[in-house]
Amino acid sequence: MIETAKKLLKNGDVNIVIGYSEGSQGRVRPFFARNEEEAENLVYDNRCTQNLAMYVSKKEISKYGKPAIVANIHTLRGIIRLAVENQIKDGDLIALHINDKDEMTVCSTLEEIETHLATVTPQISDEDKVMIEKLDAMSLTERRNFWEKEMENCIKCYACRQACPLCYCTQCTVEVNQPQWIPVEASIDGNLEWHIMRAMHLSGRCISCGQCGDACPVGIPIHLLPMKLSQEVKNIYGSISGMNRSEGCAMATYQPGDKENFIG
Amino acid sequence: MARIGVFVCHCGENISATVDCENVSERAAKLPGVVYSTDYKYMCSDPGQSKIKEAIIEHKLTGVVVSACSPRMHEPTFRKACAEAGLNPYLCEMANIREQCSWVHEKSETTTNKAFDLVRMLVEKVKNNHPLESIKVPVNKTAVVVGGGVAGIQTSLDIANAGHKVILVEREPSIGGHMSQLSETFPTLDCSQCILTPRMVEVAQHPNITLYTYSELEHTDGFIGNFNVRIRRKARSINEKLCTGCGLCCTKCPAKKIESEFEQGLAYRTAIYVPFPQAVPNKPVIDRVNCRYFQTGKCKVCQKLCPTGAVDFEQKDEIIEVKAGAIVLATGFEVKNTDFFPEYGFGKYKDVINGLQFERLASASGPTQGEIRRPSDGKIPEKIVFVACAGSRDVAKGIPYCSKICCMYTAKHAMLYKHKVHEGTPYVFYMDIRAAGKNYDEFTRRAIEEDGAKYIRGRVANIYEKNGKLIVKGADTLMNGRPVEIDADMVVLATAAVSCEGSESLAQKLHVSYDSYKFFAEAHPKLKPVETNTAGIYLAGACQAPKDIPESVAAASGAAAKVICLFAGSELTREPIVAKVNRMPPPIFSTCMGCGMCKEVCPYQAIDKEEIKNRNGETIKTIAKINPGLCQGCGICVSFCKSKSIDLEGYSNKQVYEEVLALLNS
Repeated sequence: MIETAKKLLKNGDVNIVIGYSEGSQGRVRPFFARNEEEAENLVYDNRCTQNLAMYVSKKEISKYGKPAIVANIHTLRGIIRLAVENQIKDGDLIALHINDKDEMTVCSTLEEIETHLATVTPQISDEDKVMIEKLDAMSLTERRNFWEKEMENCIKCYACRQACPLCYCTQCTVEVNQPQWIPVEASIDGNLEWHIMRAMHLSGRCISCGQCGDACPVGIPIHLLPMKLSQEVKNIYGSISGMNRSEGCAMATYQPGDKENFIG
Repeated sequence: MARIGVFVCHCGENISATVDCENVSERAAKLPGVVYSTDYKYMCSDPGQSKIKEAIIEHKLTGVVVSACSPRMHEPTFRKACAEAGLNPYLCEMANIREQCSWVHEKSETTTNKAFDLVRMLVEKVKNNHPLESIKVPVNKTAVVVGGGVAGIQTSLDIANAGHKVILVEREPSIGGHMSQLSETFPTLDCSQCILTPRMVEVAQHPNITLYTYSELEHTDGFIGNFNVRIRRKARSINEKLCTGCGLCCTKCPAKKIESEFEQGLAYRTAIYVPFPQAVPNKPVIDRVNCRYFQTGKCKVCQKLCPTGAVDFEQKDEIIEVKAGAIVLATGFEVKNTDFFPEYGFGKYKDVINGLQFERLASASGPTQGEIRRPSDGKIPEKIVFVACAGSRDVAKGIPYCSKICCMYTAKHAMLYKHKVHEGTPYVFYMDIRAAGKNYDEFTRRAIEEDGAKYIRGRVANIYEKNGKLIVKGADTLMNGRPVEIDADMVVLATAAVSCEGSESLAQKLHVSYDSYKFFAEAHPKLKPVETNTAGIYLAGACQAPKDIPESVAAASGAAAKVICLFAGSELTREPIVAKVNRMPPPIFSTCMGCGMCKEVCPYQAIDKEEIKNRNGETIKTIAKINPGLCQGCGICVSFCKSKSIDLEGYSNKQVYEEVLALLNS
């Protein structure tokens, strides 16, 4: 990986490589290699789970020019979804995909990424599966109580939003104050409103990478909401987001064959 | 600072009977921002309007709330009054204290309180209103009419006679529709073709009408006054310019055993054919599925015979792009005729036919030259059973609606049969006789009383064949459900009228809504009966619901009148209630991220991309752009936008929010 990154930087194919490097206390952190020398610091192992696709749409990164990005499967899906939503174009980046067996593939076009994604079945972790089943089994009141209890801890730091590759808006609904849709303070109602709004905005778009949950400093399993909605969208419309540029947006389109059994 | 005026209307006693209007006015006067408040018996009257105008000038009002009836009724009246006094009309709002308050509640303090709450909400809204200018859109004065039946013909002629260009598109090789298949028409028994064919000829000869038969509407985009329509002219395999309509080709075609669509399968046609003698245009068409040359590569008899060399086997579908200001849908209906009635043996017994087939049997131009002969052996039937409501008003068959025309045409069929076969006996099974219309009830009475049609009130349970007779079993519900059995020679089912095949996909192409039976939906069942929910697209005839000829023609003229109104000016004025993407100073330009989801969700295809460029012509940002000519102000994009970058003029998030807050904070 380091060799490829160096080569890409040397040939001028890319101006920056988005990857991981050693951080403090035995953890990895996102790392941005701007030259061959810096590329020496890149690492990749099973600690590298953060979805780096979120950096693609950040101005601080794009100002350097074309990036290469170290990508796991979630990163690739994030890239495709960003392309669906017109945030990146073909040729805007090179993905260095590393699979479970530590083999690396260089994808210079979105089509290559799509071809690769066509061979994989998106999975969520067993842990998340169990949690969703547990929530499904609850009564409405139990579920509301569960979430209210969890949301009590939310401090509205918006780390979930920052971690999400699809939260790329320069103005988020929470920042709109004319009118003020969502209360600023971290209160139970305001917290619920924020998280419901976030989940609704991600319905049919969420790629189920689970980054929002990982980023939460108080450990709310917040990723389960958009993840569950993605499952619902898949069940109702058969659509999985972040797989192919032709996927569109299930919640924004109407097909004559769409089920309407949720009405009435 | 806002200077709001509140005008509370009594509407005679419509409001004041249950709401204390004076109290509402007095309390409104104390609301922050309200500088003037009054009540009056009829605000919409001239003196009422003068009160508003005078107050605007005297109190330098910046906003007006008229609390009266529904804005559907008088919003234009009050907005115009405001404009006359120099206030932007969109700074005037209406609080509906009639339909939404006084009419639906008893007289009480609570009712008055609710009226006040409604006023208060609108006061808060109007504080956030800003002046809007109406939108001008140019109008292309050409109309596209889809469907060349009697409704399409009437609409086309009316629009063309008003001096506007019309493009009439018909799917079949000839115009005429179902009416050209009918023998006589109720309630006058005049010959259908005799009254229709002059109109067909008029269409063909009219200098303002371009006729495209054997053509289909393939795609449309654009908006009222500015539609782009793509028409596919299917290959007729005949050069229409060279063809003289002599008909020689049809006589020698070796493929002769093809069931004629026009004759409803009761006669045969050739592969090269003119659907019926009075067809317009009178030019043949080659049915490529049944043509020997197209199937085997050998034949070309018609080409050899044609004296003008008009037969062209190489002809291809032609795509025509036209621009139009209005579209009228007149695609008509169909009658059920498949395996819909296994219990009646339809499709199994040759002598169980539908009403349209009976029309052909009774027609002088039909397969029997107007003699009533049954299809199986050509014998003249001694007894015919007519079954009304075959499928219609039958929830079990999935058609709960009344097909409307069957009662009348069944009475007509019974009469025609009796007039042609004096010794014959017509029986009619019916549920109710629905003969509402000018001279309609007299007509059905005549069938029963003068022509001796035997009407039996009850449903037919089943029909089976026995010794060459069709045994019709039913019950007479007026005789306590006594079983009835008739050995008929022929059975005519008044099968349900249903929407045309392909109407659903056509509606989707045009973004016109339709009901669960795939009939096109009008914009308002009473007040906008020929408009659709898409501006500039109108409805004529039975594509909307089952209709008889007089109704279809009336609707067609109604639709034409709407088109002519639209074409009366060179541009049309539209309400500025449209969505707008926000714009900001650089470097943000707009909070829109250009994700394009609004573009997908817009039902009117009003949203496109807009590239913001710098001085060097480089794209800095791509955002959404809403075409105000296309936008219908539905607000779906507003609710879908994640970054709240779109707002609806006149109903902005801020305005609605303040309205709701006013209520919550009461």
